Amino acid sequence: MIYTLRHKTTYAYGNSVSFARCVLRLTPNSSPGQTVMRTTLKVSPTPTLRDERLGPFGEVMVTVLIDKPHEALVIEANSRIDVHAPPLPDASASQPWEQVRAAAFGSRGLEANGPAVFLYPTRRTPKIAEITDYARASFPPGRPIIEAVSDLMVRIHREFKYDPGATEVSTPVLEAFRARHGVCQDFAQIMICGLRGLGLPTSYISGYLRTIPPPGQPRLEGADATHAWVTVWCGEGVGWVGFDPTNAILAQNDHIELGVGRDYSDVAPIDGIILSGGNQNLTVEVDVIPEEAET
Amino acid sequence: MGRETKTVAADTSTAERRQSDLEPSAAQRLSGWLKGYHPLPGVPDELFDTARRPRDHWLAFLGDFAEYPEADFRTRFGLANRHIRDSGASYRIYGEENERSWPLNPLPLILAQKEWEEIAAGVTQRAQLVEALLQDIYGEGKLAAEGALPAAALTGSLDFLRAMRGVKPPGGRYLGVYAADLGRGPDGKWWVLDDRTQAPSGAGYALENRLVLSRAYPNLYNAMNVHRLAPFFDGLRRGLSAAGGREDPRICLMSPGRFSETYFEQAHLARYLGFLLVEGADLVAREGKVYVRTIAGLKRADVILRRVDADFLDPLELNSQSALGTPGMLEAIREGGVVVLNMPGSGVIESKALLGFLPRLCRRLLGEDLKMPNIATWWCGQPGEYERVLKDFDNLAIGPAFTGISGAGLLTSPKLTSDMTPEEREGVRQRMADRPGDFVGQEVVQLSTMPVLRDGRLEPAPFVLRVFATFTPEGIKIMPGGFCRTSDRPDVRAISMGEGANTADVWIIGDKPVERISLMARREDVKVRRILGHLPSRAADNLFWLGRYLERIEGTLRLVRALCTSLMDAEGAARAVGDNQDHLTHLLIDWGALGEKAHASTTAEAARDALLDPRAWGSVINLVRSAQRTASSMRERLSPDFWALLLDLEGALANRTEAITSEAQALRQVETALRVVSALSGLTQENMNRVAGWRFLDMGRRIERGVNTCQLTRILAHDEATTDDLDLLLDLADSQISYRARYLVGLALGPVRDMVMLDPYNTRSLAFQVEILKGHLAVLPTLHEDGIVESPGRILLPLAAEVETIDAAQLSAAKIEKLEEALMAFSGAVGDRFFLQGATAVPTVKLMGLA
Repeated sequence: MIYTLRHKTTYAYGNSVSFARCVLRLTPNSSPGQTVMRTTLKVSPTPTLRDERLGPFGEVMVTVLIDKPHEALVIEANSRIDVHAPPLPDASASQPWEQVRAAAFGSRGLEANGPAVFLYPTRRTPKIAEITDYARASFPPGRPIIEAVSDLMVRIHREFKYDPGATEVSTPVLEAFRARHGVCQDFAQIMICGLRGLGLPTSYISGYLRTIPPPGQPRLEGADATHAWVTVWCGEGVGWVGFDPTNAILAQNDHIELGVGRDYSDVAPIDGIILSGGNQNLTVEVDVIPEEAET
Repeated sequence: MGRETKTVAADTSTAERRQSDLEPSAAQRLSGWLKGYHPLPGVPDELFDTARRPRDHWLAFLGDFAEYPEADFRTRFGLANRHIRDSGASYRIYGEENERSWPLNPLPLILAQKEWEEIAAGVTQRAQLVEALLQDIYGEGKLAAEGALPAAALTGSLDFLRAMRGVKPPGGRYLGVYAADLGRGPDGKWWVLDDRTQAPSGAGYALENRLVLSRAYPNLYNAMNVHRLAPFFDGLRRGLSAAGGREDPRICLMSPGRFSETYFEQAHLARYLGFLLVEGADLVAREGKVYVRTIAGLKRADVILRRVDADFLDPLELNSQSALGTPGMLEAIREGGVVVLNMPGSGVIESKALLGFLPRLCRRLLGEDLKMPNIATWWCGQPGEYERVLKDFDNLAIGPAFTGISGAGLLTSPKLTSDMTPEEREGVRQRMADRPGDFVGQEVVQLSTMPVLRDGRLEPAPFVLRVFATFTPEGIKIMPGGFCRTSDRPDVRAISMGEGANTADVWIIGDKPVERISLMARREDVKVRRILGHLPSRAADNLFWLGRYLERIEGTLRLVRALCTSLMDAEGAARAVGDNQDHLTHLLIDWGALGEKAHASTTAEAARDALLDPRAWGSVINLVRSAQRTASSMRERLSPDFWALLLDLEGALANRTEAITSEAQALRQVETALRVVSALSGLTQENMNRVAGWRFLDMGRRIERGVNTCQLTRILAHDEATTDDLDLLLDLADSQISYRARYLVGLALGPVRDMVMLDPYNTRSLAFQVEILKGHLAVLPTLHEDGIVESPGRILLPLAAEVETIDAAQLSAAKIEKLEEALMAFSGAVGDRFFLQGATAVPTVKLMGLA
């Protein structure tokens, strides 16, 4: 499946901003599951300095510095991506989860996609006994890992209410967990806490999901959104498998990856520091257009 | 009777020999100390050897020490200790009202040179090992790739910084300073308890402890061939300087600021070493380099000695919530534009998970055996080790494998399983089963004891010794001494050492007299320079405000004095007391020294409140505390005397036992405080170098004084002013004597206005302040050398011209208000031009269109 992506972020400032330094993680990367055919990143006003390199998780990091006064900052990423997820592995034939855990703690190498990197708690996904115990119910001894993780994913989907107004980016995971509501980010973080609490390597994925408009209605421009889900390392042979607790599906050709990290902080699309005393108004527009749909 | 229960009497034969040379009273004291000293059974002690004979070097020290008469000793130690506390080594933690007494044992830990050489060799090797380990972890990563070190034993650390992988450390090294916490085990051998690689603290405290003891007992110190600490710090400075890669690099000590527990140590070190003390906001990273914001613009920072934890170093790439860092710092390091030591990421070595791997890694990386063992530690991330820890669970301590957020649940430091409740133990077992890699099991090591002096008696106390290594151009150098902490409790298990322990100086006794070196450079190395200095903008800002606070304190004190005396003078002069009091009360309310309801209170109450009311933001006590806060964030720039006077000023007000019930009492207090303020003024005029810092302090004072003068004149010398008003104005402006000497005719509006506002010879007049300000501005650096006047000058020069030419008759209230506004505008322009531009930096808001 080939997608055309547009991700436009606009900061409108109350006061003029004299200086801005931003790190942009808005450039998708090719991986075994997807091929980036074209990608551009436009920043307005034109940065005084612009630098591009690979970040700690292999992501493309663009650093920009703007030192002339501006009232608005517009960042627009446009990409064309071919998504070709490998076939789903046989869930019942996957390794018992305890074996995966032992293999992860004993794993070699410090590569960005190695399981050891995604084993430990982070600020946004700390170790919380309550969430670990919730996850534990899906993990009886010896259960094949993909089965167990799928079960946890389905439970989260079933028992948590999807509610876009209920949480913010900064809502602590435990708060969302206790209230049993949230959006994709909350569900992904809850799943990460639960799985890492049992010693299983889990990563946070930011990306996009193909949305299918209601029958007979046109796709609304800019109405799509960024999405978040998790991937779990399921042992040496299988590697990483994507689980989307918001939709209770395994990530396949509808999921387009933008960034992989330990939590949201590692993949935040924009980290910036500005010199300004005024308020900031942020709007994000996202379009995910499958090419077949356009023809 | 079993052998182990038999107590062996202290063998005091050597001691008796020593005692024969002593004064009878000293001999008696020494023998009393030794007889009353009972080391714990089965625990090695520094003073007594296994046969309970006092060791020679201790005996030599205690013998001489006993010769100080009791009272003399107290005074000496007390004085030296107090002096150090006043001069910067204080222990006040922000928010605490009282200064903590510096917890220093009057007795040093004494080690003989031979023993020390073994320690030094062990720590040197360990520093090499750690450096080699870091080179691999952040370089090729061979150890993890080949299985010599499990990847998960590294990734659990908050200080394993992926962003620093593959980055060549600028300057070629990861470490500038390494420290090891050591304890002496039951076999008499030294053990490494912990490695300190993030940003080891304590070297500055060691220096302070040394200053106290060497001042308290100079003769003893000199006679005993104690190794000096100065060469170590000289090595540290030269090592950092060499890493900078150019002649005379600018070296900064980067501090988390005055909220940091060890801020005073940092300030002290910066002053001692001559480094610039900076905070994250003082630095700017641009185009792969780091600069210090100074009053002369951005100046390159070549080397940064880091005391900010790595995670907080760069909000752009690491913890985005950090307000302590500098955005873009990591990028500058990657570009090689700044040397940061220890390199961010070095803290990964502090993980206890690594301890168990070190013996093998030492053989692999250095080709030799570890000279000094560390506590036996098993990382439970490995199945074999996990089994072993479970099997021996009841005899071990269980601890977190990593520090920070990755900590093992409820455990923040190792804890003996035998000290846990059954529920705790069960909880730990469960969490270990879920995530074995979060835990280590550790053998329980016992420490040895050293003598400490408590209530005139010698007592054994368990201790831990922190030893420092630094990387000099000639190789690794060990500080001959260290930072020793002793425990108040007789529990010798290493893990029981609390954080609230006491400290002791550490004396390494040489066999022959030591060379006397201080941090003085060799003559030929030093080029003579006479410069204004590149004052960091933040320091300029603080000094400016300190100046304003000091002047405001003086002004408020004068108001309170006038308030008290107005009533007393009134008895004789039969003047319209009420008017004056009204004016004064109004002014005090205006200045925030009194609340709005002050009109109702008596004079004594109003005076008391204006001095001491903690709720009034402008009360004298609050102003003094604001001045102290401002001063405390640049302690390295103020002389010890200055700081001591600031403390005295608070003491003159706050530490009074009697409550203020009359004007007379209030007046006494005001007079005392005013004298301290005068001393402060004198000190700044006569004892501060006329570099840029002094100019900002003085500019603050002059602006504040000018503004206050304008206000007082507006209120008291208006067109319908009475002679009482004018009299009060002359009082408040401290111009009575000058006026009476010059004008014999008595009080008249024109001459009074002229004297207070326009007379260039009156040190209190507006004209005088403006003239001085002009002088300061002319000397301060400009950003561009194009000769164009900068904005502060564009405001000040016309103001000065006007003040010089205007006639007193034209000084209407409206006119004075204009002058006052111009002065305020000048103050703002100074701020915009010289102080931190980055103070308003904020992160961009985060919000995603989330699905």
